[in-house]
Amino acid sequence: MRAIAVIAGGVFRDSIRDRIAYGLVFFAVLLIASSFLLARLTAGQDVKIIKDLGLAASSGIGVLIAVFFGIGLVTKEVERRSIYSLLSKPVSRTEFVVGKYLGLVLTLLINLSVMVAAFYAVLAVLNYLAIPDLRASWDAPALDPRMLVAFALIGVELMLVTATALFFSTFSSPFLSVALTFAIYIIGHFGEDLKHLDNIVESQTLAQVARGVYYVMPNLAALDVKSEVVHGVAVSAQHVLAASAAAGLYIALILVAATVIFSHRDLK
Amino acid sequence: MDAISIEGLTKHYRVGFWRPRPYVALDGLTLGVQPGEIFGFLGPNGAGKTTTLKLLMQLIYPTAGRAEILGAHVGDASVKRRIGYLPENPYFYDNLTAEELLEYFARLFGYSAAEGRRRASSLLDEVGIGPERRFALRRFSKGMVQRVGIAQALINDPEIVFLDEPMSGLDPLGRREVRELILRLRDKGRTVFFSSHVLSDAEALCSRVAIVVNGRLVATGSLDELTAFEAKGWELVVNGLPGAVLDGLRSSVSGATRLGDGRYALTLPPSAAPEPVIAALSAAGARVVSLTPLRATLEDVFVEQVRAASADRSKATLAS
Amino acid sequence: MHGPLISPWRWIALALLLPAAVGAQVAFEDVYPPRDTRPETLWVRSPGLMRRLSVGFAAVMADVYWIRAVQYYGDTKLSMTTNRNYNLLYPLLDTTTTLDPRFNIAYRFGAILLSEGYPNGPGEIDGAIALLQKGIRAMPEKWQYYHDAGFVEYWWRDHKAASEWFLKASKVPGAPPFLPTIAARALADGGDRATARALWQGLATAEHEWLRQSARRALMRLDAEDEIEALQRIVDAFHGDTGRYPAGWIELAQLGRVRRIPLDPSGVPYALDPVSGAVSVTPDSALYPLRPVRKP
Repeated sequence: MRAIAVIAGGVFRDSIRDRIAYGLVFFAVLLIASSFLLARLTAGQDVKIIKDLGLAASSGIGVLIAVFFGIGLVTKEVERRSIYSLLSKPVSRTEFVVGKYLGLVLTLLINLSVMVAAFYAVLAVLNYLAIPDLRASWDAPALDPRMLVAFALIGVELMLVTATALFFSTFSSPFLSVALTFAIYIIGHFGEDLKHLDNIVESQTLAQVARGVYYVMPNLAALDVKSEVVHGVAVSAQHVLAASAAAGLYIALILVAATVIFSHRDLK
Repeated sequence: MDAISIEGLTKHYRVGFWRPRPYVALDGLTLGVQPGEIFGFLGPNGAGKTTTLKLLMQLIYPTAGRAEILGAHVGDASVKRRIGYLPENPYFYDNLTAEELLEYFARLFGYSAAEGRRRASSLLDEVGIGPERRFALRRFSKGMVQRVGIAQALINDPEIVFLDEPMSGLDPLGRREVRELILRLRDKGRTVFFSSHVLSDAEALCSRVAIVVNGRLVATGSLDELTAFEAKGWELVVNGLPGAVLDGLRSSVSGATRLGDGRYALTLPPSAAPEPVIAALSAAGARVVSLTPLRATLEDVFVEQVRAASADRSKATLAS
Repeated sequence: MHGPLISPWRWIALALLLPAAVGAQVAFEDVYPPRDTRPETLWVRSPGLMRRLSVGFAAVMADVYWIRAVQYYGDTKLSMTTNRNYNLLYPLLDTTTTLDPRFNIAYRFGAILLSEGYPNGPGEIDGAIALLQKGIRAMPEKWQYYHDAGFVEYWWRDHKAASEWFLKASKVPGAPPFLPTIAARALADGGDRATARALWQGLATAEHEWLRQSARRALMRLDAEDEIEALQRIVDAFHGDTGRYPAGWIELAQLGRVRRIPLDPSGVPYALDPVSGAVSVTPDSALYPLRPVRKP
């Protein structure tokens, strides 16, 4: 267990020193701040676009970090062979994989917190500048704490995407891993369409296959409550817990599979 | 109990995509290493030395056979606490400093932060890394990385140290320092298993060696045992030898090298005793400067074994 | 001595080349100005496809399409042509509301924009009603959408249909109490200015500033109609007295029939036709036309 913590700490420390990670987070913060200017264009919908853009930027940048850094976690060590000396120390391959995963998750959650802080800061400025009449016309208050629910689920989604990226990187090339992880991400959002493919295509077998794929793939659309919180529609605690629990099971499944694959591999 | 015990260790790779053929990297290696030895694992490039080390470190898994370290199977977690490993052409984490790397590894063994710092500091002293220890590893030369590599292999004061090409990248001063370090380890009662293709290092350090060629063990034993059968005759250095006398001695001398005016180095075959030749030379007025028995060097043994193994292999391929 | 020796000529060259290159671009654009006529195009025609392509970023895409719709409407309105083409307005609004089905303002204001009278506006009554029906399917609890649909029907088309919409609106829980009254008046009066005023006044307290502005302009049009009636009576009286129509407002002012040149509620003088004696709002006025011209 200690080994997992040490490795996770190592990943986190690397990420603090990584200029690319900083760049991405900075870019996200910039995007959120600039949404303030965009708000002028939307005919009074300023709070909506700031919220939409802030949530989308946090999610999008988070996914980019999760995929690209997630894939590098294992591949970089194996390619550069720094893993040779590491595995001669008292750390098993399983502890290695789990430690790397937890380190990146920690990094992502902290990045997400930074983005949330920037997000609420911009909204606070907007709220301060707005006249009471305008505030009354908003679907939900500017500094609505319910948006934290959306961010929490974004965090869960990022944990799932990271696990997926890590899984593919234990056995395939970086390029293929990126492609497969993004494929899962996109399919995970297509949920409804896959479930009801028989509405679109003729073939029954194809629709059955699609429905099967839908149930096997993680349902990322369930973790997406951005639209609800922006419009002030309530998201039930049960929904949040159920979606998170399902995601948690998937994460466990993917990580166990990853450790199994990695443990059996010859490290050339 | 053997410090290291290897039995029938075999590794096949599958090469090729459509009709994979097996490539034999290691074939039935069996050997044992005693505690407190410095054991040299020698062979030409591609012989299977690094493969063996990777099998011992469980970086790859054997096709057949087994290996034990300190009485426990190599896969055991307890084994890793008591060994150290330096990989070939090591690469560590570029953005860490030398100190940070050693402290990171120390944490994996469970040492406290203070203990880790202490060990890191003293090991870096021992391998000759000075104030550069605070620089990121990406700025280190190959030789300096090698020294850090040796330091990290010793961070837990291991009972057995596995070194893959430990002298690689080091200048002559560095090589001497590492040699001394290895000897110090032996003096402390540690076991050292190192692989190399640089024979002079093995000659200087090892109590026993093994030679692998093409994945097979072809010779093993102490240096004396291996070189014993290869007495090669004598070297006689004489002064004041007239050319005419030399011509007369051609039959009993297998080689002559002129070192200067009247000064020759004569090679006498092992079959002939040197005394009659010396008598003849003295009678001719030459003075003997030195008489040295020629023993086979490890290099001779090595080259011999490699050639024999290639001959076997080509015979095998011709026959099939 | 630091670094290689770079001859000073190279630095001079750099210093001259940058402004020269930039200046050349500027001059080029002066001589060959870029063609400004990039029409708005809709590459992805199917809103459903756009939603699928958005993979989780649908809300932001909805905002983008909303901005596009508003800009498109504004650009088209301001363009100098007589034959204004608002063809893309409905598809843009349709995509916006498919990407974000809860986009309240897109339904309400979109309907107002779509129903604005031809030829200045799109005059797409069917489109406006369809958009509001889509909103009702997405959010059946919004009585405002039924109300807006009734509004559009009443103002532009069919009072009976309007009345039915107002009744449906009144049945939604939380609807304001004045709706059944308006339903009844829509059915009975049809075209009556007082009813229309009541409807617009209902909208004048809507939650969005833009909706309130539309209501204010509509109320100004109704005021203009009242004023035109009064002015027409004065002109007709003149005709009765003199047997001809006045040459202009000045003549009436000199006779003391009007105090000064009458301005419509937007501040533009009313037009007086010397031949037919008709009083009307000039095409220059923001209130033109007062009543819709049916789109051919």
